[in-house]
Amino acid sequence: MNTRPSSTLLEQAGRNLKGKTVVITGATSGIGLAATKIMAGYGAFVIGIGRSEQKCRMAETEIRELHADAKIAYLTADLSLLREVRKLAEKIKETVHKEGNDCIDVLVNNAGTFACWYISTEEGFELQFAVNYLAPFLLTYELLPLLKAASTGRIINLSSGSHYRTKIRWNDIMMRKHYNCLMAYKQTKLANVLFTAELNRRLGKYHRSNKTQDSCINIRAFVVDPGLVNTQIGFKGTTGIVKWIWKMRSQRGIEPEEAASTIIYLAGDPNVLNSQEIYWKNCHPLKPSKYSQREDVALRLWEMTEQMCGIRWEN
Amino acid sequence: MESYVLITGATGGLGKAFAVECAYRGWNLFLTDLSEEHLCCFATSLMNTYAVRVIYSPCDLTDAAERQKLLSHIRSCNISFSALINVAGLDYEGLFSDRSPEQIRTLIRLNIEANLEITAEILKLRNRIKPFRIINVASLAAYYSMPLKAMYAASKRFLLSFSMALREELRPYGVTVTTLCPAGLPTTPECIKAIERQGFAGIITTKNVGYVAAKTIDHALKGHAVYIPGKLNQLLRFFSSFIPSVVITRFIGSRWQRAGENKLQKPEHLIWNLWRKTEGVT
Ligand SMILES: NC(=O)c1ccc[n+]([C@@H]2O[C@H](COP(=O)([O-])OP(=O)(O)OC[C@H]3O[C@@H](n4cnc5c(N)ncnc54)[C@H](OP(=O)(O)O)[C@@H]3O)[C@@H](O)[C@H]2O)c1
Repeated sequence: MNTRPSSTLLEQAGRNLKGKTVVITGATSGIGLAATKIMAGYGAFVIGIGRSEQKCRMAETEIRELHADAKIAYLTADLSLLREVRKLAEKIKETVHKEGNDCIDVLVNNAGTFACWYISTEEGFELQFAVNYLAPFLLTYELLPLLKAASTGRIINLSSGSHYRTKIRWNDIMMRKHYNCLMAYKQTKLANVLFTAELNRRLGKYHRSNKTQDSCINIRAFVVDPGLVNTQIGFKGTTGIVKWIWKMRSQRGIEPEEAASTIIYLAGDPNVLNSQEIYWKNCHPLKPSKYSQREDVALRLWEMTEQMCGIRWEN
Repeated sequence: MESYVLITGATGGLGKAFAVECAYRGWNLFLTDLSEEHLCCFATSLMNTYAVRVIYSPCDLTDAAERQKLLSHIRSCNISFSALINVAGLDYEGLFSDRSPEQIRTLIRLNIEANLEITAEILKLRNRIKPFRIINVASLAAYYSMPLKAMYAASKRFLLSFSMALREELRPYGVTVTTLCPAGLPTTPECIKAIERQGFAGIITTKNVGYVAAKTIDHALKGHAVYIPGKLNQLLRFFSSFIPSVVITRFIGSRWQRAGENKLQKPEHLIWNLWRKTEGVT
C-alpha cells in the first residue's frame, strides 16, 4: 500500500525546520540534493556534504537560484576514508560555531555508493562498506555531542528495501574473497538498520540515566527507506550490464523530491520523536527485517565497528 | 623476538589485499611503499581493525641508496621475519621503441634488482624456528612473450624462473618460494578499465584480489611452487604450452592492439560492447 503522506503534516514538519541546523551528506545529487533544496527553502541552515568541489558549487548555485536567501554551506570530504570523516566533523563544528550556533538539530547520513568490483580504500576497507556504513557510524559518533545539545536531536540514516533477506557475513564482512556487488550493498543497508537500532538503545539508556537532572534530552535515530528512486546511483562506479539494468529499473522509480519527503518529515515533525518506530517509508512506519532487530547481532556489529574506527562509544 | 611479514608495494591494490589477509590471520606486518602518508593511514587502520602490530617505512625501491636505508632500518628494528611478499612491480604499456632510458632502468631496477636484493637480505633475518615463506608476484605474462608489454613480461619470466630455482636451493632449510601468476586483477580504476578494454575474455579471466591474496597464502603455506588464479587461466596456460610460442606471441600482439583501438571483433563483439561503455568507473 502506497499511501501518500498528508501534505499538511509535511508542511508542518517543514515549517518546523526554520532556523534549525541540518547536516546532510551526499547533498550534491539525487535524494540528498532534493532534501537539501526543500530544507533550505523552509529556512533551515543546511550544511551539505559532497565529494567534489565542483559539484558542491553547482548544487549551491542551483539552490541559491531557487531560494535567494537560503542559508547553506557546502563542505567537501571523501567519505570513503575514516580520516576524512574525522576532518569533516571538525570542519562541521567550525561551520556551526561560525554561524553562532552550538548544536546540530538533524544529521542525515544519506551519501551512498554502489561498486561493481571489489575496491579497497586506502585504509583497507571495501568501498561500499566504508561509504555506506562506516562513514555514518563515525560521523554520528563525532557529532553526537552537538546533536545532544539540540532541543531535539535527530539522526536519519538512509537504508533501503534491500536490507531485507540478507545477513551479516561475520567471517568475511567486506566480502574480500567472494565479492558480489549486490550482496555487499544489501549488507551495508542492513548494517545501517542494525546501527540505528543499537544507537537508539544506547541513547535510550543515556536518556534514562539523565532523567533525574530534569533536563529533557530528546534524541533519536531513524532509518529512511526511500523506495525505488530515479537517481544516478546505479550509473556511478558500475559497468555496462549494471548500468543497463539500473537504466531500466530506475525509470520506474519515484522522483528524488518525493523520496526526500520522508527525510523532511522525520527531521521536522514535532511528534515523531515520541514514536518507538525506527524504519520509515513514505512518512509511515514499516517493519524492518526480523534479523535487523536482533540485539545480539547489533551489538556484535557495533563492537566490531568501534574496533575498525578505533573508537570507544561512551554514553 | 617478534615475527613479521614484510610486504613491498603494500599500498597498491594487491599489496593491500595481502596486508589485510595477513592481518586477518593475526600476523604482524612490516609494510613498505612509496608514500609515507598512504602507509601511515593504512597501517593505523590495520592496527585498529585487526589488533596486530604494523611497522612501516616508505622507500623508493628503484633507488639503491634508499634500499640500503630501508634495510638498515629493518635491521635496527631487531625483529625477525616469517614471510616476505614481494608485490612491488611496474609496467609501461606500449612499444619498446617508445621507452626512455630512464624507464628502462626503472623497470629493471624495481621488478628485478629490488626484488632480489630484498629477498637476499630478509632471508638473513628470517625466524629459524618455523618455515619461512616467500611469495613473489609475477604474472600470467611470465609464460608468454607479450608485444607491447615486452619488458614487463620478460621481467616477470625472470622472476618465475628465479623463484623456481631458489625454491629448490632453499628447500633443505625450510624455506618455501611460491610464485603468483595472476591474469588481470581489478584493483585500481585504471586496471579495471584495462581489463574491461580486453572485453569479455578480460572479464572472465579476472579474479577478485581478496580471493587471490587469501588463496596465494594458502598455497604458500603448503609450499607450492606456482599459483595461477582461476581454472580458466590454468587451462589456458596448460593448452598454450602445446602451441608454438611464435604463434601465441602473434596472437597476443593482435589482441592487445585491437583492445587498444577499442574494436575487438566477433564473436566477442556483442558482449564486448556491453562492457566497453565504462567511463566513470570510480
Ligand atoms: N536510488 C534508489 O533507488 C535508492 C533506494 C534505496 C536507498 N537509496 C539510498 O539513498 C541514498 C542516496 O542515494 P541516491 O539515489 O540519491 O544516490 P546518488 O544520486 O548517487 O547520491 C549519492 C550521494 O552520495 C555522494 N557520495 C557518494 N560517494 C561518496 C563518497 N565517497 N564521499 C562523499 N560523498 C559521496 C554522491 O556524491 P556525487 O554527487 O559527487 O556523486 C551523492 O551526493 C543512498 O544511501 C542510497 O543507498 C537509494
